[in-house]
Parts: sequence; C-alpha cells; structure tokens
Amino acid sequence: MTILLGGVVLYAWLAMARVRFIGLLFGLLASGGLYFVWFQGQANKLAHLAGIGRGVDLFIYIWIAVSLLAILNVHLVVRLQSEKITALVRRLAILEATLDEQGRTSGHDD
Amino acid sequence: MPPARGGCWIIIPAYREAAAIARVIGALQPLGHAIVVVDDGSDDGTGDVARACGVSVVRHGVNLGQGAALQTGIAFALRQGADYLVTFDADGQHDPADIAGLLAPLEARTCDFALGSRFLGRVEGASPFRLRFLRLAALFTRVTTGLRLTDAHNGMRAMTRRGASHVWLRQNRMAHASEILHQIAASKLPFVEVPVHIRYTSYSRTKGQSLTGAFRILVDLVQQSVIR
Repeated sequence: MTILLGGVVLYAWLAMARVRFIGLLFGLLASGGLYFVWFQGQANKLAHLAGIGRGVDLFIYIWIAVSLLAILNVHLVVRLQSEKITALVRRLAILEATLDEQGRTSGHDD
Repeated sequence: MPPARGGCWIIIPAYREAAAIARVIGALQPLGHAIVVVDDGSDDGTGDVARACGVSVVRHGVNLGQGAALQTGIAFALRQGADYLVTFDADGQHDPADIAGLLAPLEARTCDFALGSRFLGRVEGASPFRLRFLRLAALFTRVTTGLRLTDAHNGMRAMTRRGASHVWLRQNRMAHASEILHQIAASKLPFVEVPVHIRYTSYSRTKGQSLTGAFRILVDLVQQSVIR
C-alpha cells in the first residue's frame, strides 16, 4: 500500500506542472493515505469523529469523492479541447471557402 | 476579401447527404437567393455534389455536428455581407415555397427572427410519437426560455443580420435547436412564428432524431445549464 500511494504522490507531483489543482488534490490525498497506513489508530480516531466506523472506510469515501471530482475535471478539459477544435476547424473552413469565393468572383477556378 | 454579397443567404448544414443535396439545391436555386452548403466532414462527396451545383461550399475537415455546421454557415454568410439568413435542412423535408413567408416579416422590419412552425402549418408522414415528442419539447422550451412557441425543434428559420449577430451556437450537436431559442430569448429581439410545411420521407426519417438522440439533447442541455 505504501508503494502504491508513494507512486500516486510521485505522479501527483509530476502532474502539478500541468494541472495544478488536480496535482495538489491527489498529492494531499495520497500523502494523507500514507499517514493513515502508517498510523492506523489515527485514521480510526478521525473516522469516529466523522461518524464513520473505520478509518479505511473514511479513506475509501474520500477517495471516491476525489475520483468523481477528477472525472468532472477531465470532462471539462475534454469539453474545452472540443471547443478549441471546433473554433480551429471553423476558421480553416471559412478561410478556404472565402478563397474559393474569391476564385469564383474573379473567374478563376483552382 | 471577396466583394460583399448582401441579400438573403440560405444556409444548409449537410452531413452525408450526397444522395439528396442536389435535389434540395435545385429546388432552392429558382428563388434567386445565395446558398451556402456547410459540408460537415462528409465522406460521401456531399461537398463535391453541392459545389457542382454552383453554390458556395464551406467544408469542415472533421465531423463536428449540425449545430457547429449551422454556426459556421451563419458566420460565413455574415462575413459575405448577408442581410437575411435562412436555415434549411439538407434532407429535403422543408419546402422552399415557405421561405418567402419567413422573409416577409423580416423585410417588413416587424421582427428579427421568423421561426418555422409545422404545427401552424402542415406535417406529412410524421409518426404520432414524433409529434407528441415535439409538442413536449415546445412545452419544455416555454418553461425554460419563456418563449411561447408551438414548435421548438424546427430547422427552418430566418433571421436578420442583427438577429444573427446575437446567435453564437456552442452546442455542436442537436441541442443547438434549443440553444438558439435561449439566445433569441436573451436577445430580447422580436420574433414571430410562421406556418411551414414539413414532409417526412423514408429518407428524411433515417436522418431524423431517435429516442436516444432526444435523450442526448436533454443531457447536453442539462450539462450546458449546470456547467456554463
């Protein structure tokens, strides 16, 4: 578990350069996970404070919530990319068509 | 820039319509308006067929969706100096004779948008399910936009240059039909519904919306209202 979470911390640190918010979120979550793996009693105490039976359950709930946030973030990024592609395709299409119109009105056909 | 060509521009978004586009263009050409076909990345030669008919063709390098094609057509027509813009489906379900009725209130300067309504006009060949769904869509539009319309998803509409400048479709797929109504409502410009004739054929039915398509529109609209 330590190796797995350590890998996530490393990935989050690398991701920070590209998507700061997600990198930070996953970094903090994985670091917190490491802490609770090493000090399981602390995780249970914190879970009891939140009204949850076991520390591992608390960890899983948080992980699910963060995963959903990450999915939403990916969705937004894809949507943004899609809008950029649309703008690019439209600009190119109109440019080509405008040149065609110029050719038509000047009597040339290339 | 080529010389501006004002007057009325008919915008036809088309995707894989090689079998029908020449007939549609042929029926529109006697009206004497400028025509632009937006080939939305078709792989069946739709753009080439349209070009051979002698109309303007704007070609998307990849398929983006009808909403994107429509917005490209609007942007192109405005760039060419269009005074009036008419949107027209490529599958032959619309009647060119209705265009004069759509343009009349715009030319009389009584409104900036003229929206076709099959329920004020005539519908041929539509299933009872489709008609019920379209009436439900009109009710949904009335609730969400405040526009009192009888037909919310009719692809035949006309707008002035001023009206078109208030339209910027970001919904690339079919939800653009609802998005444009939201933008008309937001523009607060006057609009009118005009009776039109829609004729569903076996060909146009294969191009129409399925139930899953309707669900997709709903998802797009909910997503738009939540995220934006």
